[in-house]
Amino acid sequence: MDSECLSLLPSVCEVLADSKLLPPDDTSLEKLLDWFKDLTSQDDGQSLLQHQPCLLQFLYSVMESEVVDPIIFSFSLKLAGLLAAEESGFCLLQEKGVLVSMFVPDGWHVLGLWKNASVRCGWLQGLWNMLQHPPAMDFFCRNGIITLVLNLQNDESLFITSLTNQILAHILNCSMPRVLGNDTDSTAEGQALVSSDWVSVTTEIMSHMSRSLASEDQAVILPGLRLLAIVLTQCGDPLKRLLWKHVLEPLEVLAIRKGDSLTPPMMAVLQAAARTPLYIQPECRVEALMNVMLYSRNTNESVLCAASILLLEKCVSIRLIGSAVISLLRICIGHYPSTILQVGNFPHLIGCCKIQRCGLDVLGSLTVYEESMDLIQEAFAIILQYMQSPDSHATVLKKAHQAALKWFSICSPSTDLWRFVSNDLFSVLKKHVCDGRWEVRDSTLEFIAQLTSALKGNSEYTEALHTNGMISVLFTALSDVEAYVQASAVAALGEALTTTNLPLCTSLQEEIVSHLLTVLAQDAESFPRRAALKVFTSWLKIPQTFAALDQSLSSVFSLGGNDCDWEVKIHTLELADVLMEKSLSHCPYAVQGYEPSERCTEQALNKLMDLGTLGLLFKCLFDCDRPVSQKACALLLKLRAFMKQTSHTDGNDLALEICRYNWGEEILHRYCSKRPEQSDCVSNDDEVSYEQIDIVKCDPCWPKEISLCKILDVLDLDEMQHTLSLSSDHVINSPRSLMEDILFVAHQSEDNVVDCY
Amino acid sequence: MKLYCLSGHPTLPCNVLKFKSTTIMLDCGLDTTSALYYLPLPLVHSPRLSKLPGWVSKDGTVNLEKELKECAGRVFVDSQPEFCLPERELLDLSTVDVILISNYHCMMALPYITEHTGFSGTVYATEPTFQIGRLLMEELVTFMERVPKAQSATCWKTKEIQRRMLPGPLKDAVDVWSWRTCYSMQEVNSALSRVQLVGYWQKVELFGAVQVTPLSSGYSLGSSNWIIQSHFEKVSYVSGSSLLTTHPQPMDQSSLKNSDVLILTGLTQIPTANPDGMLGEFCSNLAMTIRAGGNVLVPCYSSGVIYDLLECLYQFMDSANLGTTPFYFISPVANSSLEFSQIFAEWLCQNKQSKVYLPEPPFPHAELIQTNRLKHYTSIHGEFSSEFRQPCVVFTGHPSLRFGDVVHFLELWGKSSLNTIIFTEPDFSYLDALAPYQPLAMKCVYCPIDTRLNFHQVAKLLKEVQPLHVVCPEQYTQPPPAQSHRSDLMLELQPPPVAYRRCSVLGLPFRRRHERIQLLPELAKALVPSEIKPGISVATVSAVLQSKDNKHVLQPVPKPIPVPPSKKRKRLLEEVPELLTPKPLLSGAIPLDAFLASLHKSGVTEVKVEETAGGHILHLQAEDALIQLEEDATHIVCDTNEPLRATLRDLVLRFLHKL
Repeated sequence: MDSECLSLLPSVCEVLADSKLLPPDDTSLEKLLDWFKDLTSQDDGQSLLQHQPCLLQFLYSVMESEVVDPIIFSFSLKLAGLLAAEESGFCLLQEKGVLVSMFVPDGWHVLGLWKNASVRCGWLQGLWNMLQHPPAMDFFCRNGIITLVLNLQNDESLFITSLTNQILAHILNCSMPRVLGNDTDSTAEGQALVSSDWVSVTTEIMSHMSRSLASEDQAVILPGLRLLAIVLTQCGDPLKRLLWKHVLEPLEVLAIRKGDSLTPPMMAVLQAAARTPLYIQPECRVEALMNVMLYSRNTNESVLCAASILLLEKCVSIRLIGSAVISLLRICIGHYPSTILQVGNFPHLIGCCKIQRCGLDVLGSLTVYEESMDLIQEAFAIILQYMQSPDSHATVLKKAHQAALKWFSICSPSTDLWRFVSNDLFSVLKKHVCDGRWEVRDSTLEFIAQLTSALKGNSEYTEALHTNGMISVLFTALSDVEAYVQASAVAALGEALTTTNLPLCTSLQEEIVSHLLTVLAQDAESFPRRAALKVFTSWLKIPQTFAALDQSLSSVFSLGGNDCDWEVKIHTLELADVLMEKSLSHCPYAVQGYEPSERCTEQALNKLMDLGTLGLLFKCLFDCDRPVSQKACALLLKLRAFMKQTSHTDGNDLALEICRYNWGEEILHRYCSKRPEQSDCVSNDDEVSYEQIDIVKCDPCWPKEISLCKILDVLDLDEMQHTLSLSSDHVINSPRSLMEDILFVAHQSEDNVVDCY
Repeated sequence: MKLYCLSGHPTLPCNVLKFKSTTIMLDCGLDTTSALYYLPLPLVHSPRLSKLPGWVSKDGTVNLEKELKECAGRVFVDSQPEFCLPERELLDLSTVDVILISNYHCMMALPYITEHTGFSGTVYATEPTFQIGRLLMEELVTFMERVPKAQSATCWKTKEIQRRMLPGPLKDAVDVWSWRTCYSMQEVNSALSRVQLVGYWQKVELFGAVQVTPLSSGYSLGSSNWIIQSHFEKVSYVSGSSLLTTHPQPMDQSSLKNSDVLILTGLTQIPTANPDGMLGEFCSNLAMTIRAGGNVLVPCYSSGVIYDLLECLYQFMDSANLGTTPFYFISPVANSSLEFSQIFAEWLCQNKQSKVYLPEPPFPHAELIQTNRLKHYTSIHGEFSSEFRQPCVVFTGHPSLRFGDVVHFLELWGKSSLNTIIFTEPDFSYLDALAPYQPLAMKCVYCPIDTRLNFHQVAKLLKEVQPLHVVCPEQYTQPPPAQSHRSDLMLELQPPPVAYRRCSVLGLPFRRRHERIQLLPELAKALVPSEIKPGISVATVSAVLQSKDNKHVLQPVPKPIPVPPSKKRKRLLEEVPELLTPKPLLSGAIPLDAFLASLHKSGVTEVKVEETAGGHILHLQAEDALIQLEEDATHIVCDTNEPLRATLRDLVLRFLHKL
């Protein structure tokens, strides 16, 4: 593939360099750059430049052109940076004079290019691509480029200012070890030469930052603060310490400054600083600055400050936060917040859904902290209040469910807990399953499924679930008018029955399986049908399966395989996968005694055939939905591998009547294609048509049954798998396709250019 | 203007307004919560209730076994339930000119007023209020008469016994001597014969003094707020009102503007419960019970929220796959109630009115009846017992659980935890209502639905209409006792509202300043207006004021007829009063400098001018006199020097204009 692309590269370069031709769009150029990036990662820039002289030619053409398009110019800057990312490539380009021409704008032929934002952006991107090694840094420092970069910090384009800050932080991070004398590899002389330029650049950057922070102009301060936050987050500790000394004074002035929008970036800086060793150094006064910010601002800004401080995990007691959140939640539901905190009366918060949702989210998030264990009872109490409140919005209930799940995950089992579950929680859940709002019913059933899954193996919970009338409630919910709710009910019931270690009576099993089969056969919505299959799959996975399920598997495969919804078919294949695993895995310690593996395999295969599993696999293999076909192919490959492993390759005993099935035609078609000597209708390279297959089928010489092994052999599953694994745009998405597009567009006349939008 | 408060119940008001020589009673609500102190009246003989032990005092000295029974740990009165009437001794109710009724829940005490107090006036109400009120009264009487009690109970009311010996809550019952048993059907008919029907916006003149107008209040069918106004004053009476879009016509708010006084009653009794949320609770609990095979009992009034409940269930039951569950509505007036709701189309909201033109019944319970999903019966006896099937939903009265068919259902279904009783009416404490039935296995759900205005809505309303003064029950001026921290559940107004309780007499902080008087044409022609300011002219008039039927007319003074001399002694009555020439009116302002100049010209030179809040005081030093000049008066003070006084007076008059 790459050789084909590389053969097109000279034409592409020529087209790009020709200012008379239409340039390609930005997306194409970005994709081209991505390709170059891949190339340079495999092979360094120097060898690429040497093998593809068209690239250098292209860069020259662009540099010397008087009428270059800004998009192409920007592209060339980025490309040059990529090619110079390795030292060898860099040296070559420098030797050819490309780098100075490109990255020192004073020398550009086309005046006014710098005014174009995409050019400035390309210049910065190219620079950043290039600054990956000391020679590039030398180049940068020696050519006075820093001044331009610093000016771009106040560019009108936010993208450019952000990129500038990233580069400045990168420069500082790269240069500081040398500046501070940490690099022991350099020679003394070389280090002195490098250090003076580098020292000068780093000093200039730090001075610039101090000046920015001390400015009166907010537009100048803001980028300075942003750069400082990046440096504090990304750079090494020595640099942070050095920089902090420079900026502390202006930061102290900014901290007491009021009435502007610098609070968020200031807090970002202080947050970043608090996560470094600077926080514990008293002379750095990080905490003092936070205090000043917190108490000197108006209400809105103080809230921002407080939020930022709370994000620092070391700062505040989790117990205190938890109590505050629980108090707030109590206020929002109209209850008196009797907690350790002194709070007033805030009637305007009552019923405020947004705050309730946020509060419940926070309550759930607290479970990651060990200290939150003290709050378990209060947390469950407030969650229950929200669940019981008739005024709780459906979205708030959903959040309450999520919070409850998190708290359950950290609870240790206790009698009080199960009493709470049995007496309080299940009562309200049963009521919610009958709620008039489908969202409430749906999220309640989802919650029950998730809770049951989370507490799997817990016998007290399972007992409570099965003795509290919840099962019958779930059963009734299977008939809900809303498809989503039905699906959730199916999942919840499935989960409930999977977790039980109580013996279910046969009639109940049959009833449940029958109901799910009815859903699978008759429900007009796909959600419940998908859910039914998932439940069958999860049931089949458990060691002690239901007899009722075993008896219904062939119906399940038939219904699922013929479903119009591709996801239902996928789930059916997953069920088949589980069945195959169970059936084909051998147990050497079988109580019945050891049986020859071949006979076991044969019995298992016969079982699979009788249940319609094999037919399902073949049918799905030729499905028009790629994921279905892909899954079926994977399962057949698995089956083939198994048969090879157990040396069951000549299993002539297991034959499939291909003429009975629609998919049989396809197999026969391929069978015929591989056996031309047996057919009159095939000659030389003629393909076999389906009309001819019909003729073949009537021909008594042709087999009506073909053995499984032969079918697997005929199908060429590996090729099918490879083809199926390609994405639908694998042709279109190739670099070759991209280059062809570029060449095509360039040679189009104006008349033929159609904007499809 | 005075307001006599005969009831302290905030949603069952009874107030009397004295305004401009009229005496107007505003509603006459009947407080039936006193029935909770009584034992239930079972339709079917109840062995349990008939074998309850009588109450005897701890020391054995007082034996009231026949009057009081112990049941489920409490003491109940074993007699016909009694109701708490409005106060009838506070003023002479025979002086009440008219009674204005807001809604059918607030007229249940009408027979007590009209039949026993000498009232001889007229009662005004809208037609639905009248008809449905009549149904509710009939129902109440039927409930009582169906289960008559032989004896009455009065000994327990003796103060020493009630306060000192009886246990709570009976001990704490108040105004027990004002309690009365239910009226008779004859009294109901007689009371209702005094009703005159009115429509919304219909103006009714009361003796020419004031005009009363009912406006839609949005709470129930035909419910009204009232405007009572004269030419210059306006009083608004707001009773049960609602801004929710249920079945009645929406509330008319704009007409309440520019009120001098706004009397506010009938706010929601459960301000923390959102009606929509309660409706959802109702439906989900109902569905949960029916799905589990249990029955649902809904104690309710025969009109009002029941229509909304049936409409809600009509949609909900199908979506919950419970479409085959039967509903039963059992009341002596069930059929009439359902039918009346369909015929008062012009009193319904726009949506429902439009249906009538289709034509379709405005309420879906017609379809429920047609499809046999809703059946109504006059009582549990008769067809019901043979036709009813379970599980089912039963709507029946009375919400107090002390009388009506609900008593039987509680006895029948109370022992099974599969069944549920759902309380939707906020008038009664559900725990007190259930007390005589304990222990109860039946589940109890309390989801009261009260669509009346809450504090948030009323605050917005008052901000919109801006009355000068607000009068309200004292309960609205503080948070509910159970939620003392909720400062949003009360009225906070500037100026603060005037609060009342039972037996309060309020002199409303409002003084009438104007009255309309007519001039006869010949008198008007004789007037000579004189302009004292641009756009303002004044004329004096001498006339005879005739006031009749609250209309005031100025007539010319009759000329005296000369009487021939006679030796007989003249009777005083024959003498015609002498027409005196009226004193001239003065108007204008006295310019200080000019006046000082004129004083100076007249030889008064030593004048000290002192500025005051209202004008000036001129001290005439030499003459030992002073002149006080104010905006609307001038005083000349000089002791015993009459000539000086006259001179100074003449000087002042020079600057004034005589009318």
